[in-house]
Amino acid sequence: MKSEKKRIGVFVCHCGINIAGTVNVPDVVKRLKDTTDAAVVIDHQYCCSDPGQDLIKDTIKKEKLDGAVVACCSPTLHENTFRKAVASIGINPYNCEIANIREQCSWVTDDKEKATDKATKIIKTIIKKVQHDEPLTPISIPVTRKALVVGGGVAGIQVALDIAQAGYPVILLEKSPSIGGKMSMLSETFPTLDCSQCILTPKMVEAKQHPNITLMTYSEIDSISGYIGNFKVKVRQKVKYVDWDKCTGCDICVGKCPKKVSDEFNCGLSERKVIYKMFPQAVPNRVVIDAANCLYLQKGACRLCEKHCPFEAIKWDDKDETKELEVGAIVLATGYELLDKKMLGSYGFGKLKNVVDGLRFERILSASGPFMGEVRRPSDGKIPEKVVFVQCAGSRDQENAMAYCSKICCMYTAKQAILYKHRVHHGEAIVFYIDVRTGGKGFEEFYKRATDEGTLYIRGKVSKIFEKGDKVIVWGADTITGKKVEIEADLVVLATAMVPSATKEFAQLLKVTQDEYGWFTEAHPKLRPVETLAGGFFLAGASQGPKDIPEAVSQASGAACKVITLFASETLEHLPVIAGVDEDLCSGCAVCIDVCPYNAREIQIKEDGKKKTVKVIEVLCEGCGACSAACPVGAAQQKNFQDKQIEDMVEVGLE
Amino acid sequence: MKQLAYYPGCTLYTKSKNLDLCARETAQILGVELKELETWNCCGAIYSTVQDDLANQVAPIRNLIEAQKISKKLVTLCAACYNVLKRSNRALFLKENDIYCKRMMNYLETEYLGDTETVHYLEVLKNDIGFENLKSKVKRNLSGLKVASYYGCLMLRPSDEMNFDDPDNPMMMDDMFSALGATPVEFPFKGECCGGYVLVNKPDVATKCAQTILESIIDTGADCVATTCPLCQYNIDNQQKLMSKQFNLPIFYFTQLLGLALGIDEKILNFENHYIDPKPLLKQKGLI
Repeated sequence: MKSEKKRIGVFVCHCGINIAGTVNVPDVVKRLKDTTDAAVVIDHQYCCSDPGQDLIKDTIKKEKLDGAVVACCSPTLHENTFRKAVASIGINPYNCEIANIREQCSWVTDDKEKATDKATKIIKTIIKKVQHDEPLTPISIPVTRKALVVGGGVAGIQVALDIAQAGYPVILLEKSPSIGGKMSMLSETFPTLDCSQCILTPKMVEAKQHPNITLMTYSEIDSISGYIGNFKVKVRQKVKYVDWDKCTGCDICVGKCPKKVSDEFNCGLSERKVIYKMFPQAVPNRVVIDAANCLYLQKGACRLCEKHCPFEAIKWDDKDETKELEVGAIVLATGYELLDKKMLGSYGFGKLKNVVDGLRFERILSASGPFMGEVRRPSDGKIPEKVVFVQCAGSRDQENAMAYCSKICCMYTAKQAILYKHRVHHGEAIVFYIDVRTGGKGFEEFYKRATDEGTLYIRGKVSKIFEKGDKVIVWGADTITGKKVEIEADLVVLATAMVPSATKEFAQLLKVTQDEYGWFTEAHPKLRPVETLAGGFFLAGASQGPKDIPEAVSQASGAACKVITLFASETLEHLPVIAGVDEDLCSGCAVCIDVCPYNAREIQIKEDGKKKTVKVIEVLCEGCGACSAACPVGAAQQKNFQDKQIEDMVEVGLE
Repeated sequence: MKQLAYYPGCTLYTKSKNLDLCARETAQILGVELKELETWNCCGAIYSTVQDDLANQVAPIRNLIEAQKISKKLVTLCAACYNVLKRSNRALFLKENDIYCKRMMNYLETEYLGDTETVHYLEVLKNDIGFENLKSKVKRNLSGLKVASYYGCLMLRPSDEMNFDDPDNPMMMDDMFSALGATPVEFPFKGECCGGYVLVNKPDVATKCAQTILESIIDTGADCVATTCPLCQYNIDNQQKLMSKQFNLPIFYFTQLLGLALGIDEKILNFENHYIDPKPLLKQKGLI
């Protein structure tokens, strides 16, 4: 610390009447002049205005000041403004501090006298602080300008394309053998009814062909270390038993494979072979062997795929492959799943064959689905004459399932009812709903179209669904007439709640926070919706909450833009207001290591090999001060919040 | 022999003697003595949902206190008693109920900490005795008998308070019957209301409820129904005489079929006490 005293200027802002309406500013100025050693004390109507900033700069130059206190609003608003202003004339910005006399003083009282007293005191404490502020320089961190996108659904694809287009390399990671995500399973999309595959596959192909994108499908993350700009990620590509460099996706092996198992892509409504491609347009266009069901791998017999492969691509000694990636930013586009069937027992879901969820009905409607686009029901393949759609199945249900609205179901139910009636002209479509929420471009018109085309909407909840003969009986309430309703349906479609794909364990691995339901939490719900509080992690699509396709895509572009902004410079600046260690005092007790929430502290052994001390990993330190409070000997000190400064401030504060 | 406090309740002393006696006898065979409380009073029959329910709750809580002289577990059989005793205890000792709890204590002779656990006899069979163990004690295998296990609403709901079994698809009684060699059947109304006390003032409404249940059971090809609750038994057995369709479906207490499998005396099984006579069925299946 410098021994000679700083020449400090104090600038008291009126903020119109925001401050001056309660605080007697001229009186504050007078008192400060009388009782402090500030070199100059001046007030101004709006310090943050250009003339206000000029006044500060001119005064500093004229009076040869080396520190400044601006008494105004919260530092979250204008600290940056004033620090930049003083830096422009050669003063270290960390020697300029804010005394908050608005949020913490004028706004919280009508008592003018007390407000004036308190404002004076606040400013006095900050003058004391600036007296011992050291000049600090931001820490510079190199940035690896390469991004990792986790999840290859439509959101992940969009993020990857946008970042790649800006010129940076991207790795697009997907746990399934193909990218495409949930959107590739949909039939047609609301409210324009264009074919989902037709609008998605060009994007999938573009992602595959883009020179800046590396696809890593059938892969999962094992571990992540590092920090913003400098992550190290261990990725494991699961064993495929097929050499993808040799495989051409010709499907001859698929034709020859003798064993069939339930097809996940068709939600179990049809069967696939054990060696399989997820769907015809899969990207990459490659096959994998499902080891758990393979006759050769389980029982040692068969090998028909190997015999018939013209490219000798079957690789029985294949293993999991682990790669370590170095990336600067990670975008989480992990998407959603539908609610576990166990939670919908009273609707018979999972037990009754003719009760399906929205995604299964999408496959039933899909031209490439299990029934090639004809609407048939799973139990016997009959064309259902009467279909009941149940909205909010597990959504908006605080008692039994999820309290939130899944947002997309009102529209996709309307779409599914329209599509059903297009395919089965004489069919009856009945929808149970709580509210129909149509907030979106063209959504209300689309809902109107569903009702105009003959879909019957009943306002009320369904209480029970059960089988009677080959019919599915739906018990519900019509809350408009107040009557109990019983419908004999052929098929029931549940608009099941969306739930996050990302597990708790995965979130813990990343150290990214989730809300009570498991959706990733954004840094700020309004102003920072695509960032997380963990530096370098960004959110896209339904990983953050229920979203439809246009919303997922626009959020994806938003996340990409944030990554591109991060990559715009080769280095990152990290705030220098962080902790330090006085190595002469430190005994290496490691108490601070346990309390540090950012893993920013570690033990180091000095060159003589004897003394252990603690070292701060500066880029990880966020300057929270937990270590300074915990250190028993005062060796951990927060820069510009040193014990001496705080003691001085408390002393003036208590005068 | 392991002793467990036992609360029969009023109905088991009168109309539903067969539910009660079969339980005591089977427990004995399985190595548990159901020791009746020295003194007990009515549980209240219906769980009170009025705002000022202090007076209603004193009755069940007194029984729970009495149980502590014998064991920390109190075994019941009647679904209504089970529901009321379990819920009253829970309501009293919810964290936020401190003042309520203190007020209640003013009306009780003994200090009580809420540590009597009300369990259903089915839970004793499952958890204390074990279905595997039960299987080894079977003397007369019930194979060939298709049983519909009807739980009724009171055992299962409110599910977060009762926490007995999956409220939408309970299996405990079904699993017990599997252990006895019988074949459980699946039907969608295992936990639906039998009509309950509505029978008293609107018999047609209650009868319709009961009929809906029997209709879905008859579709499964079941030979008979097993219940845990005297009121359910009455509604779906006796009311068959008023139904628009003839089912002729015998309705047992689960303890009767348990007793039959464990080979207890036919006098205790008391097959006389039914509206639909179950004996022809049991004879046909070679069980008596």
